[in-house]
Amino acid sequence: MTLSMTAQRRTVKGIGNFLLLLMLLWTAIPFYWMVATSLKRDKEIYGFEATLVPQEPTLGNYTTVFRDTPYLLFLRNSIIVAVGSTVLSMIIACLGAYAIARLNFPGRALLARGLVFTYLVPTSLLFIPMFAMMSALRLTDSLHGLTIAYLGFDVPFCTWLLMGYFKSVPVELEEAALVDGCNRVTALIRIVLPLALPALVVVTFFSFTHAWNEFLYAHVFTSTNSARTITTGLANFMSADVFFWGPLMASTVMSALPPVIMFLVLQRWVVQGLTLGGVKG
Amino acid sequence: MATYSTTGVSIPSSQPVGWRMSRLQRFLLRDSTLGYLFLFPALFVILGLVAYPFVNAIIMTFQAKTAGAPGRFIGLANYAELLGNPVFWRVIFNTLIYTAFGVGLKFFFGLGMALVLNQERRWNNMFRSFLLIPWAIPTVISALNWRWIYDDASGLINNVLVRLELVDETISWLSDPHLAMLAVIVVVVWQGTPFFTMSFLAGLQAIPKELYEAAEIDGASVMQQFFYITIPRLQPIFITAIMLSAILTSASVQFVYILTNGGPADRTQIFPTMAYNLALGGAQRLGMGATVSLFFFPILVIFIIFLTRRMLREKGE
Repeated sequence: MTLSMTAQRRTVKGIGNFLLLLMLLWTAIPFYWMVATSLKRDKEIYGFEATLVPQEPTLGNYTTVFRDTPYLLFLRNSIIVAVGSTVLSMIIACLGAYAIARLNFPGRALLARGLVFTYLVPTSLLFIPMFAMMSALRLTDSLHGLTIAYLGFDVPFCTWLLMGYFKSVPVELEEAALVDGCNRVTALIRIVLPLALPALVVVTFFSFTHAWNEFLYAHVFTSTNSARTITTGLANFMSADVFFWGPLMASTVMSALPPVIMFLVLQRWVVQGLTLGGVKG
Repeated sequence: MATYSTTGVSIPSSQPVGWRMSRLQRFLLRDSTLGYLFLFPALFVILGLVAYPFVNAIIMTFQAKTAGAPGRFIGLANYAELLGNPVFWRVIFNTLIYTAFGVGLKFFFGLGMALVLNQERRWNNMFRSFLLIPWAIPTVISALNWRWIYDDASGLINNVLVRLELVDETISWLSDPHLAMLAVIVVVVWQGTPFFTMSFLAGLQAIPKELYEAAEIDGASVMQQFFYITIPRLQPIFITAIMLSAILTSASVQFVYILTNGGPADRTQIFPTMAYNLALGGAQRLGMGATVSLFFFPILVIFIIFLTRRMLREKGE
């Protein structure tokens, strides 16, 4: 160790700053390309005159998306499914998590285990029988069907996350409320839920973005535009014969914005929630 | 607690004044009754949307089944066909490479990113927010975006390479048998690194500063501090993050599906895309598709059980 501590620190700091610059570029370049392409005319996108920076930026691709594609329909479908599955999974998860965190009954530990286990079973093991089941129930190509299907992931995950938060609410508060004449139901609504508000925000974020970002179920269970969400809708744009990257990039920019904004606003809680549960790889 | 007294109760079915409660109400409000009642919807979801389909998947592997028609029992024929299919062996190999390199690189870069972001500097919060964004956007969108970056004719990479006169002919990143898997893994890493960064960053911030101060007084170098304090302290997080990521990476469909759809010549085919193509790509052989998925389940289940234990223990269950 010939270097002094301050020299070492300075070296580490320098290396860190250099690496940070590389990481920022690595992260930013794909986003830049996405936005830049969305602002170009076809002439600048393809062929010999292709540019790296849009010379004559235009919003033409965005108008094309709205005018010539069913993007608005996909957007509407995504919102309906995301809101629906979020609300349903929140209600189911709040009740379930409270039961596991606070109530004493036989089989409680087993149910907690079952929840984690089911949360970890990936959808790619389930989509084939799910497809058969949804077909049999005539729930394919329907927003209801998709909303219900997403509960299979959202409920175990939200219950699991909320369970941890509910446990951190001091039992004494609730006991006091019970003495004051609350019962378990009113105690949950009036004491536990308000105190676990940050957790509810995080859980809302996760189930909303999960539904917004989910691809496999959405792709497998829908066959017409009437029920396609954004993810499967955009993937379908691509499999059309003519690639139209300008409008496609315009629609990816718009589709990425809602989860990104939510993430930036709620970041602090999201990161905290993630370390409690572990989310997705 | 005055605000929470009986006067504020708004649930009509429960007038919770102890001595006036009917027997039915008292039964309903008992811990065990209420516990099952509260958990019933969650249980219903788990049984209906996870357990039932899962059992169904196992049954399907013994059937010749197409969508909409009842399955016909064919014993182990699906398994036999699969094991005799050279593509399947290719898929096993591909899935291992894809998962090992995908998770390994995400781990490595995620740790680097977390260490860099854990240093003190101006605007660090802003940098952190920005570096985590790839995790928040839909994976399909990352995949589509990268497909365009890799484009043979006008993609960003070829565009730059040609401009700098580094290549004579553009490179077909996604259809060259030697490059395709690498190209897919790059996208997986780009999208998945922030998950590791977030996990590790939280772990780093939980390490008491005093440990480093004490080590410094004892004359430990920066490298020694890293290997004797940071790494051991992060180890539990390493294991959880790696296992979780291994499950989800090996099972993710969308990167391969959008970038290459398994091509060229099955060079990037992994088990979820093979299952998808068998079950829903044309021939609709649901039984065969389920067999492919289930073949990987024994490996996944070891990870899942291990991780379930860990996660429950971390939460003191």
